[in-house]
Amino acid sequence: MLNLRSLVRAGTILVLCVYTAFAAGPFVWAATLSLRTTSEIALDHFALPGILHWEKFPAAWYGSNYHVYFGNSLFVVLTAVAVVTVAGAMAAHCFARYRFRLNRVVYFAIFSTIIFPPQITILALYQILVQYGLYNSLVGLALVYVAIQLPLTVYILESFFARIPSDLFDAARMDGYSEWEIFWRVSLPIAFPAIATTVILNTILLWNEFLYAVVLITDDNNRTLPLGIQRFMGDQLEDVGMIATGLMIAIVPVILVYAFFSEKLIQGMTAGAVK
Amino acid sequence: MAVVTLEGLSKRYDSGSAQAVDGVTLTVADGEFMVLLGPSGCGKSTTLRMVAGLESITSGALAIDGARMNDVPAKDRDIAMVFQSYALYPHMDVMGNLAFGLRRRAVPKAEIERRVRDVAATLGLADLLARKPYQLSGGQRQRVALGRAIVRDPKVFLFDEPLSNLDAALRVSMRGELIRLHQRLKATMIYVTHDQVEAMTMGSRICIMNRGRVVQIGAPLDVYRRPANTFVAGFLGNPPMNLLPARVAAAQEGLEVGALALPLERAAHLPPGMPVTFGVRAEDVAEVPHPRAAGGGIRLAAEVATVEPLGAETILGLQIQGSERDVMARVGRDSRARRGDRIEAWLDPAAVQLFDAATGDVIPA
Amino acid sequence: MQPPSPPHHPGERQPWGAITAFLLPALLLYAGFTCYPVLRTWWNSFHKVLPRRPDEFLGLANYEALLLQDDIFWRAVKNTLTWASISPLVEVSLGLLLALALYAKIPGARLFRIAWFTPVLMSYVVVGILWVWIYNFDWGAANAILRAVGLKSLAHAWLGDPKVALPSLVFITSWMWTGFNMVVLLAALHSLPSEVLEAAELDNCGWGRKLVFVIVPLVKPTILNLIVLSFIGKMKIFDLVWITTKGGPLWATETVSTYLYKRAFEWTSFDLGYPSTIATVWFVIVLGSVLLLSWAFRQRQKLEY
Repeated sequence: MLNLRSLVRAGTILVLCVYTAFAAGPFVWAATLSLRTTSEIALDHFALPGILHWEKFPAAWYGSNYHVYFGNSLFVVLTAVAVVTVAGAMAAHCFARYRFRLNRVVYFAIFSTIIFPPQITILALYQILVQYGLYNSLVGLALVYVAIQLPLTVYILESFFARIPSDLFDAARMDGYSEWEIFWRVSLPIAFPAIATTVILNTILLWNEFLYAVVLITDDNNRTLPLGIQRFMGDQLEDVGMIATGLMIAIVPVILVYAFFSEKLIQGMTAGAVK
Repeated sequence: MAVVTLEGLSKRYDSGSAQAVDGVTLTVADGEFMVLLGPSGCGKSTTLRMVAGLESITSGALAIDGARMNDVPAKDRDIAMVFQSYALYPHMDVMGNLAFGLRRRAVPKAEIERRVRDVAATLGLADLLARKPYQLSGGQRQRVALGRAIVRDPKVFLFDEPLSNLDAALRVSMRGELIRLHQRLKATMIYVTHDQVEAMTMGSRICIMNRGRVVQIGAPLDVYRRPANTFVAGFLGNPPMNLLPARVAAAQEGLEVGALALPLERAAHLPPGMPVTFGVRAEDVAEVPHPRAAGGGIRLAAEVATVEPLGAETILGLQIQGSERDVMARVGRDSRARRGDRIEAWLDPAAVQLFDAATGDVIPA
Repeated sequence: MQPPSPPHHPGERQPWGAITAFLLPALLLYAGFTCYPVLRTWWNSFHKVLPRRPDEFLGLANYEALLLQDDIFWRAVKNTLTWASISPLVEVSLGLLLALALYAKIPGARLFRIAWFTPVLMSYVVVGILWVWIYNFDWGAANAILRAVGLKSLAHAWLGDPKVALPSLVFITSWMWTGFNMVVLLAALHSLPSEVLEAAELDNCGWGRKLVFVIVPLVKPTILNLIVLSFIGKMKIFDLVWITTKGGPLWATETVSTYLYKRAFEWTSFDLGYPSTIATVWFVIVLGSVLLLSWAFRQRQKLEY
């Protein structure tokens, strides 16, 4: 009996290890490719790097315009995340704290757009941005990003704010704080864990965003990283080594964020799914 | 100086629904410790929140020192409130919690620091100033909540069931602390509770509420001894006052309680046949022989139905012939009565209260 | 994903100024970047919309052309729906099995959890490029492994063969999302009251019976949510296809998103009206199927409790 048990256990661990290799393998492979030259790769695609070609990173960074793409992505994502966090937190605070007619109606209207397919807005957004001179502009893209992440942000924050006991707000009111100050000095600091979750989640999702970017940005100097990678791949289809280096440049920030905040990220991604 | 006057204060949540608070009129004198007491849902908390400015006032007037406060925002009423849940800011340490209310009020930094340390010292929080609320025990949190109110030095203190989250032992010691605090600060305090022991021990006066209305206001012992109606009689005291349906006897001076005739001079001037409620406190019922029984009084044959020895005293449930309800008697700890014993019980006629059965109001002696 | 009910602050005087101020930024963004575009797309769908020319009203002509004559659109709908119906089943069932394996207290569970979650954090662009290489006929890992184990005959041009291109893409999304489903289900399992599982233990339930009669019913709400979530995700899919196959070969992997993009920005017609019609019809289909799905799930749950 004991033997059968440990056999099953060993089998389970083996399956899990195989699955882990399957899940993580592609990245490990890409990492090895990023440090090898294309001619080395052509000899054997699966060899470990012999000489570590770190110089490929600066080469991609400056030679293939990656520093521009990276900067653009950073600007768009940080701007959008900052705005969506503040706007979303304000709305969520309002939905959670004040009882007014239409509270649930407005909340549900915003919340339900989570299930909208992006196609329903993207063509019109293109027209609108062209019309207002925001087409092909990072500010325009950032605004669109704010709008698409707003429902999820409001949803996560509202459910957190709603759990703050209303006595705290009453106490702050009696202490002489205005509604606005209560939001900044009571609600926000208390909700810090939830805010952090949405910030990290939104950062990752927008860092990876492709569809809106490909429609709303054409100028090479305004490309975000995903667009840059795609362009690079189109231009240098055969240069596997260099493309891999480019991929790693896009992945590393995500990995770093994940390394520091894996729990928060998992929490954010899974919010709403567990009930 | 802070006199709080409530004049016909009413609260209605939605037009059409019943009044949650219905015409509460009450004057809290300067330095008085007024307790609002009542069962849950009686409107006492809502009344307090209207005084605080956290709820709007549907009708009636609220004044502090004669100045109308109805439309003055909470922050400008110079009132501090201690909440049942303490409402400590979880992201601030004790120092921050104590200082938060002062920062808003243009108090100089050094002054804030001094006042916070003063209050922390008196409340025994001096060593905890750097702690966050989650690192404190229940009693310590309660003190911080209290300190936060005291440090503001407000005209009026409001307490919304501040002790109900504490365990029994802590509640007793905090009760004492609050009484001492009131004696030291001599501030006007309004204290909401559903706990009659708190009300009796702490209040200068008690205001008993039921269904949104004030039922009786008075000093604790007055209210206890002379309840204004059957609600108060049945609410205050443990066990509550014995209340038996009765009728003014037609033939002789006295009452008929069921089949039993009780001689009672006070019933003489009441119309014969009038339905009344006969009330007597458990401590005014005794087991004969008893020193008080020597000077006369009412004697009844009874059978012991229940015995509750509480240590310091024993509560007997007495089945009195002709009465449906047991009469509770508070007897000495030495009582040897056992279930099923037949005894003679004695009632103090001077302590008997009569209530009009139709209205529930007391019939003045 | 029911929104919670609003907190009760009875009778509090509502500071309308503050409410407006708090809601205004979100509402402006919502109105400007969600409501208005949706309405405009709908309006476009009845028009021919060319740059620098007034829109020309077409009535229902776009709808007629799309619904009755556009074979590629229907191909795209079929592909997308196939994708959206297979993926959730694969991802959720595999995720559940993995979650159960981890639930049975395996050493290093935390590490496994973090590793398995990684693929969802990568953009579809990165994932797409990686898998283009993995699927490469000559040197890709997929064929390399097949050849290594002697199944040379099974080697394919995975993304070049119309027969296997779509399943190959579905495989990629399953690779990405299974770990995510696992983590969510694991959280759900951990939130189960342990008494229930202990009770099943005492009843001498085997693992299989425990799974079917105790565990699955208990985490069912989570499973249903995950299915809906995965479904919605696949109905939106664009990036992965765009990077790997652009809808080819021969429309084998065409999704509604890629087709719409092509009609809007790659065809020389420059018309935004027709693609808007696609968007509107698709919007209705997505909304309808999500509502249907949630309704069906709710019905079943009602019947069982």
